[in-house]
Amino acid sequence: MFFNSLAFAIFLPIVFFLYWFVFNKTKSTQNALLIVASYYFYSCWDWRFLFLLVFSTFLDYYTGIQIEKGTTERNRKFWFWLSVLTNLGFLGVFKYYNFFASSFAELLNNVGFKASPILLNVILPVGISFYTFHGLSYVIDIYYKRIKAEYNFVDYSLFVSYFPLLVAGPIERATHLLPQVKIKREFDLQMAKDGVCQIIWGLVKKVVIADTCATYANAIFDHYTAMNSFSLILGAIYFAFQIYGDFSGYSDIALGVSKLFSLDLLRNFNYPYFSRDIAEFWRRWHISLSSWFRDYLYIPLGGSKGGLWMKIRNTFIIFVVSGFWHGANWTYLAWGFINAIYFLPLLLSNSNRNNIDDVKISWNFDSVKVMLSILSTFLITCIAWVFFRAKTITDAILYLKRIVTNRDFGFQYLDNERYSYELLAMIGFFVLVEWNSRTRTEPLSGNKSTLKIALAIVAIMAFGTFSDYKEFIYFQF
Amino acid sequence: MKRFLIYSTKIFVITILVAVVLDGIYTAIFLQTKNRGKIEDVYNSTPKKFDVVFLGSSRANNHFVAQMFGDKGLKSFNYGMSGGHLFEASLLLKLMIERKYAIKNVILEADLNLSNEDEAEGISALFLPYIHNSEMIKEHFSTEDNFKELYYIPFYRYIKYGTKIGFREIFFGAINKKTNQLDNLGYHPLEKHKNGNMKNNIANLKPLPHNKYYEEIRSICKANNINFIAVMTPMCENVVGMNYFEKVKKAYPEIHNYENVVVENKYFSSCGHMTDEGAKMFTARIIKDFFNK
Repeated sequence: MFFNSLAFAIFLPIVFFLYWFVFNKTKSTQNALLIVASYYFYSCWDWRFLFLLVFSTFLDYYTGIQIEKGTTERNRKFWFWLSVLTNLGFLGVFKYYNFFASSFAELLNNVGFKASPILLNVILPVGISFYTFHGLSYVIDIYYKRIKAEYNFVDYSLFVSYFPLLVAGPIERATHLLPQVKIKREFDLQMAKDGVCQIIWGLVKKVVIADTCATYANAIFDHYTAMNSFSLILGAIYFAFQIYGDFSGYSDIALGVSKLFSLDLLRNFNYPYFSRDIAEFWRRWHISLSSWFRDYLYIPLGGSKGGLWMKIRNTFIIFVVSGFWHGANWTYLAWGFINAIYFLPLLLSNSNRNNIDDVKISWNFDSVKVMLSILSTFLITCIAWVFFRAKTITDAILYLKRIVTNRDFGFQYLDNERYSYELLAMIGFFVLVEWNSRTRTEPLSGNKSTLKIALAIVAIMAFGTFSDYKEFIYFQF
Repeated sequence: MKRFLIYSTKIFVITILVAVVLDGIYTAIFLQTKNRGKIEDVYNSTPKKFDVVFLGSSRANNHFVAQMFGDKGLKSFNYGMSGGHLFEASLLLKLMIERKYAIKNVILEADLNLSNEDEAEGISALFLPYIHNSEMIKEHFSTEDNFKELYYIPFYRYIKYGTKIGFREIFFGAINKKTNQLDNLGYHPLEKHKNGNMKNNIANLKPLPHNKYYEEIRSICKANNINFIAVMTPMCENVVGMNYFEKVKKAYPEIHNYENVVVENKYFSSCGHMTDEGAKMFTARIIKDFFNK
């Protein structure tokens, strides 16, 4: 059940009605309804993986309590590692086993040994990377005594399985969401209205920007050997907007839907393509994952304490692990590694926290500098996205090489029966709209909201891509 | 909550209004487009006279050289549609009759397309802008599974088939951008392709014994005193399951088997589609056999 499907358009009002009109007496009834709705939502993908979700929830719930109750450090450590290793074990088996097995066999074959690995014929349970990280952060926080264990199983289950965030985040923290599910929610008109605006804007990003860009990006990436320099550059830009529209659109819908139930989720995107350097980009892109890695990997590894080399080492580790989190493919590792390299000059010059204020532009030379910084950050991000999108690292390198060597900047007719340049005006308009609303969550609320919503609906209907239906990219992670 | 329900209702109403307005605008543009495609051309046309009209799929569109008929004094037009099935061919003929076309002969390419009665969505979508303006089109689609959504939900058809009748097509229609579909009297010549697929496996295809739309075309012709000629057109040498054409002949003895008129691969652009040279050889034979010219 996709957020942009008819099934979800029916599901959501039903849950909304039951939540506020039938099960609204206590927080327990509200939570129970959301749990049932969430499990139904998840079972629409594949009901068999519901057992995995329930098991993972129970494991973290139980081990969390045991860690808190643990009287000795040894006992606490046992429950802690049981939870961490089991969670990572599931992730490893479902997501990474085949990759490691085949890569290891390939390595053996290359050095003269004959190896044929036993591969698992299983599909990746949707959302496993997200709910595993929910559970891990919860258990780690209890172990380090940052939070208390949750004794109410229903409340805890809702924290892990809440349907708006279940399959593709944002990756919530117990400190943020659990306190909200512990109290009865009252309807908040403004929050609900903001939620509706965010849902509509998320749909614009998904069906107008992401899915339309996808048809062009696919036509270019899938035939890159026949494309000229101009088309290849456009392909990288289109993919950059595809993945942004897709994932931030999904996050907007998730946050918007949650606001209808008076539950606030963590913001996941903050106009990342208006970043002035790569450090700022990573503070604005997939914020819930970046901060997760910062808090549960970078800082435990020593963070920036211990000198420059330690800082560089830890930065490389979190970027490579972050790349690997996206999928079991060398291209994701390369993407993470490239981003770490982008970070290097900032670390060496100790300027990774230079741009923490809002982007401001006026008619002066400094603004030209800011615009150039934004453009150059976008450019290097696009280069990294080529590795993320390409099937292999070799493909990515050849793609980039061809941009430089082909030197033909003419318009090409693509496999999707469109000219390569056709989307530029639409993307330009989208960037302008986002630029003008960069200090807000989305552009539809506020003054003349009704008119803006009507225009957004026109955009969704008239310019959206529906016939060539595409899944949300991050569902595969 | 009451205020939110009013707010939600307002957005719902806006959505419906937007859909109705867009539907109206899109349909109005489709009703005045010219030079875009064969369906728009027929729908927005006045009565015409033809000695010969060709119908069928790409194997009609790429195989009947209408100009060669013209050279022999026979006014003709190739209404074959690449990607189309008999569902669309039948509807197009119905529209021609509705627009009072005077047609002496219909030559229908009837071979591989006899194996199904499905609509070809990519082509049938092109009729949908007119569904509220034509009883004929409405009636033709009325047995399709998604008819109710297509007919009753405003703008749904333009969303569902956005790549065919969506914004891009509207834009080109509004500025009257010409396509090449109506060039060469509707015939679309193909060139020899170095990488053309010269293998085809049709072993799993079975001609339906009483294809609904084939029978429909035949009966329309009969009812309107149009001479109906159905032919099978050539395939390349490397076809697996060539006995399909014998099965067609057995089920429909009146269909003329011209599959073997051109066989050499050099006359084919891909296995099911002849080059311009092959099409001319084939058309010459058709003219000779049926029109004695």
